[in-house]
Amino acid sequence: MARITITGLHKYYGNHHAVRGIDLDIPEGEFAVLVGPSGCGKSTLLRSIAGLESVNDGAIEIDGELVNDMRPRDRNLAMVFQNYALYPHMNVYENIAFGLRARKTPAGEIDKKVTDAAALLNLDLLLDRLPRQLSGGQRQRVAIGRAIVRDARLFLFDEPLSNLDAQLRDEMRGEIKRLHQEIRKTFLYVTHDQIEAMTMADRIVLMRDGIIEQQGPPLELFEKPTNKFVAGFLGSPSMNFIPSALVTEDGKVSVKFEDGTTLLLPEDRQSKYASQAERQIIFGIRPEHISRADGSDERVGVEKYQSVIDLVLPTGSRTYGTFHIGRTPVVAELQAHDVKGAGTALALLVDMNRAILIDPDTEIVI
Amino acid sequence: MDTLGAHRSPAKAFSAGRFADKNFKYLTIAPAVFLILLIGLFPLVYTLMVSFQNINMMEVDTSFSGLMNYEMLFEESRLWLSLGHTLIFTAIALPIELGLGLLMALLFLERLPGKQIFVALLVLPTMMSPIVAGAVWRLLFDNRYGPINQILGWIAGEPVTILWTINPDFVYPAILIAEVWQWTPFMFLILLAGLSNVDSAQTEAAEIDGAPYWLIFYKIIIPAIWPVMAIALLIRGLDLFRLFDVVYALTQGGPGTMTETISVYAYVQGFKQFETSFTGAIAFLVIIMLTVIVIYALKKMELVEK
Amino acid sequence: MTIEIRAQQIRKRQNRRNAMKMAGRYCLAIGITLVFIFPVYWLFSISFKTPDEIFHHPPVWFPESIQFDNYGVLFKDGDAITVWNSLVIATVSTVFAMFLGTIAAYSLARFKTGGQHLGIWIISQRMLPPIVIVFPIFLLYVWLGWVDTYHGLIILYTAFNLPYVIWMMRGYMEDIPIELEESALVDGCSRWEVLWKVVLPLARSGIFATAVFTFVFAWNDFIFALILSRTEVTTFPVQVTHYFGGQSNFWAKIAAMSVLGTIPIFIAVAIMQRFLVRGISMGAVKG
Repeated sequence: MARITITGLHKYYGNHHAVRGIDLDIPEGEFAVLVGPSGCGKSTLLRSIAGLESVNDGAIEIDGELVNDMRPRDRNLAMVFQNYALYPHMNVYENIAFGLRARKTPAGEIDKKVTDAAALLNLDLLLDRLPRQLSGGQRQRVAIGRAIVRDARLFLFDEPLSNLDAQLRDEMRGEIKRLHQEIRKTFLYVTHDQIEAMTMADRIVLMRDGIIEQQGPPLELFEKPTNKFVAGFLGSPSMNFIPSALVTEDGKVSVKFEDGTTLLLPEDRQSKYASQAERQIIFGIRPEHISRADGSDERVGVEKYQSVIDLVLPTGSRTYGTFHIGRTPVVAELQAHDVKGAGTALALLVDMNRAILIDPDTEIVI
Repeated sequence: MDTLGAHRSPAKAFSAGRFADKNFKYLTIAPAVFLILLIGLFPLVYTLMVSFQNINMMEVDTSFSGLMNYEMLFEESRLWLSLGHTLIFTAIALPIELGLGLLMALLFLERLPGKQIFVALLVLPTMMSPIVAGAVWRLLFDNRYGPINQILGWIAGEPVTILWTINPDFVYPAILIAEVWQWTPFMFLILLAGLSNVDSAQTEAAEIDGAPYWLIFYKIIIPAIWPVMAIALLIRGLDLFRLFDVVYALTQGGPGTMTETISVYAYVQGFKQFETSFTGAIAFLVIIMLTVIVIYALKKMELVEK
Repeated sequence: MTIEIRAQQIRKRQNRRNAMKMAGRYCLAIGITLVFIFPVYWLFSISFKTPDEIFHHPPVWFPESIQFDNYGVLFKDGDAITVWNSLVIATVSTVFAMFLGTIAAYSLARFKTGGQHLGIWIISQRMLPPIVIVFPIFLLYVWLGWVDTYHGLIILYTAFNLPYVIWMMRGYMEDIPIELEESALVDGCSRWEVLWKVVLPLARSGIFATAVFTFVFAWNDFIFALILSRTEVTTFPVQVTHYFGGQSNFWAKIAAMSVLGTIPIFIAVAIMQRFLVRGISMGAVKG
């Protein structure tokens, strides 16, 4: 059980400033996911916590104990690596038992713990196999088994699912989340996959270029991003960003696109933006908040837009239609049969309640 | 919990385990570096020191004698001749070994059942002790009871009685044959590996473009195996520069000093005539020459790799 | 129909041409191998010949019978002890060089200790001519009283082979994924335990190959042994040269002693097949 507190963390690789002043506080038992594009410093941060990288500045505390100069073995944590890092010369049993043996656990206890972990992960029948005789998913489970037998206070995962195929990845996501619910230890999980982050995390820590852009519960980041990067990173397909202007017509604040169309902001947001009128903005709207106008009950704050769909991407349950506002392509999430082919004129509804307005210079959400 | 944590705090108490982990990279390399200094730095310093003294069979004069031994180096024609012999051996043996090795590698490149057995047999000479190789050729070259003259006699149609290790016209061929026999397989093995690693897509693309084989060989295959070839040449070149065993076994540098290499010459000066200080000067000269050659070769090879 | 027959003809002709080409290459390969292997055969055959067969003109190509008298003499005279000396010295120095070299190689491979320069410096020590090294070492050993001793030769061979071991083992260790070591560190191993329990088991085929080569180098050496031994610890290559220039009846001894010294090489080649190229090219070619 561990609380991790990180303050003012810096890490350089030569001239490259990989981690640039991270402050992070992860309470005991939380499932925190570090996510961001590759090279954002998330793995470096994780490896610093594990003790595999030394840091240049700042403090890493686990349960209030400064661990900066502690060897990995003294930190009492467990880690699952991207390519599993199973010892190829040991069978599954020995792989899982390795950490216990390294810590001089009595033989009887080792046997019980390994057997329990194997049962939990459905590895009972594979204990005599060598890693090379296992499938990718089985290897992954051995790697997790090796971590959980250890009774560590903190579990680190470094992109553990990125080498699996899509179906297996979905399955393992569920298994890891269930595991966390069962053992209730602090999990720190690194991934570049925003879906993994959204589905598994209690808290998402979204990083870019060595700093934290935003952190919080997944839905909070998804619904209330603080800047354009966060808004664009989470969600698939990603949010549409449309260059536009805030204008005042008849005392009401509207968003005006490059093609001249204006969409009225809903009543409850009017006052907030009244003072901001007559400025350039980026209008951010997720595909799922643009839908086909069906003529029936029009809700408050939903505006109409007349589009010509020029690209249709069916996925089965949904169909994504792309149209252009000026030179900007915009994706709308439609029902499967809403649109027949490219060139279809279609009336769309834009849910202005869910839209975000972004300052084009600072890229911060207004 | 907190007190326990403070108790285990690593920065405070000394622990042998933590010290070992922290300095692991130095602790593991130190003994090896120390021993290598024994054969690396010590000889350099010591030969340099000795070479400025005047120690020989007659007297042990450890006072500083200036550049006397180095001046002697320039007057000693036997030294420069031995250096010349060494260069002649190198200049002849190296291209022959390379050429033969390359031809053999090309022969064995394509599928050939039992290739492993051929390779294992062919590599035997290279793995044998050079002194044993010299001994073998001593037996083979015997003018009366050796098979070489016998075979040559069959070819010539009349008895051949060449004194291979004595006749000045034949000592060089004798040593070179032994040397080429022992080390061509070395070239062969390395070049075969190099050729096997050439990306066949490149040669196939050139074939489809209609390039003749010799062009593919010069423009694609040779550049592709050049790094491997350069390493092999460097290793063999340095080996030939210190040629000793085969010469010692076959001619001991004779007749006269005709086949004396630099290593044989230094051996004679140091351990037969006990010209200790003078040998120190020779050794130092060799170290300097070799350092220059190796640095030049490495630079040259790096340029190629670019 | 006619096209099919024509195609068959062409195919047949091609097959025949390929078969002939293969046969030609085969003959050439066998011929070359015979030329290279003949001296080895001659060595063996002399060692089994009677004096009459050895000194027969024209030479006897195949000995009448295989007799071991020539070897018996070596054992009776006590000359065979030199093979034992070689075995002891080569084995012990190999063990030392492997141990010291392997841990040093790990330091270079994993921590890049000393940057690029230390590695280059170490391998460059291998390039020095033995005569240059042995000359001052001889003077040192005279002073220490180490000439003609086991430990004198063992220490020198250990030091001389260290650069090779370090260079080779560094290459093998760099092939091991670093995650395995990191995982072991997190699992609770000290650095030493990581090396011992994870790295060495994974590098074992490389260790084995390097050890065999190191043994062969020490076993084959002549010049160090020539200068640093006298009568007590003569190694077999030096013993071979003791028979040179003597009476001709030493031929049998030269051959028998050389065969004794070559048999371990046969064994080494036989078990080393997969690592031969990497071993002789100092790791430059991962054949």
